[in-house]
Amino acid sequence: MKSTQEQEFVTLVETHQNLIHKICRLYTKSSAEHKDLFQEITIQLWKAYPKFRGEAKFSTWMYRVGINTAISLYRKSKHRIQSLSFDDVAFKIPQDEAYNDTEDQQLTAIYKAVKQLNDIDKALIFLYLENKTYKDISETMGISEVNARVRMNRLKKKLKQQLNP
Amino acid sequence: MDVLERLKKDWKKQSNFPKVTKDDIHALLHKTSSSIVKWIFILSLIEFGFWTIIGFFIKDNEAQQRFNAYEMEHITTPLIVVGYIILAYFFILFYNNYRKISAADSVKILMQKILVTRKTVKHYVIFNLVFLYISIFVGLWIEITKNPEVKIVVAQSNENGNLFIFYGTIAIITIVIMVVSTALLLGFYYLVYGFLLKRLKQNYKELHSISSLENQD
Repeated sequence: MKSTQEQEFVTLVETHQNLIHKICRLYTKSSAEHKDLFQEITIQLWKAYPKFRGEAKFSTWMYRVGINTAISLYRKSKHRIQSLSFDDVAFKIPQDEAYNDTEDQQLTAIYKAVKQLNDIDKALIFLYLENKTYKDISETMGISEVNARVRMNRLKKKLKQQLNP
Repeated sequence: MDVLERLKKDWKKQSNFPKVTKDDIHALLHKTSSSIVKWIFILSLIEFGFWTIIGFFIKDNEAQQRFNAYEMEHITTPLIVVGYIILAYFFILFYNNYRKISAADSVKILMQKILVTRKTVKHYVIFNLVFLYISIFVGLWIEITKNPEVKIVVAQSNENGNLFIFYGTIAIITIVIMVVSTALLLGFYYLVYGFLLKRLKQNYKELHSISSLENQD
């Protein structure tokens, strides 16, 4: 018998699952890693859920837990990466090659460049792509709004130079 | 168009992720986490158990029983009691650190909390090493002053004029034991925690560097 809290949580995660997938897409390189990170983010969300008081939107709270898990908590398991088991169809994630069909080469190059950034810059880009304000970004990352803005401008310049040398 | 604006436009369209069902999510909730924090806490518990077991193991052995016959409880008992009080203090610290860590903190706060946890483990290791050194020195001093066999060897060395060589040999052996045990322990910790926290430390450094951007621009 599942508790009401568990059912409520599962419904919320199911509704917002794309957000977790997007984080996994940025931070992992294989389907097995994607599956592992998806699992770890879901577990961390569930562990933190009793403290979620609904002051922020569930999705906003998910960004924080998801990014924290990807950057600080998640431990890549070499064993899993080496022994890929595609037993779970739900986690067969199309990787960048698969996106080639629908995206032009420039877009693929942008994705590639973003994936090569360090973990912190990836988080900043992710929040920016998710249309978060600099205030939200600064609160999620624990840095000042000005610093978030300065770093983002530098990242934009860096990516531009990298893609249009 | 700006590179990121181009990406943003495409980013929003992403919908080609496979759907994870409610049943899948229910199943995931009952799987075990393999987070860094959990591993640090498990390692702390293993270390705590290891040193406690060593303590009990030493308690009843032959050397300890001989040691008890020297009637030096006024020195050894306070040492053991202080040792256990400090162990209990560290155990509470480990637990509190673990409890305080929340994935819903800001990225920077979470990293700081994990690094504090690591620092507690580091302090615990230093405490164990210092306690080991103190125990070795106290044990040696008691053996030299109370053990009848050692007393005879000391007297003989004194008569032969070899007392300096006797104490010198003991000092060298003690130093070698201390250096080897310290190197082994630190090497082990460096490998285990170095491996666990390498990525986190790099990320923390990176985030910290962002905080000084204002002054550079």
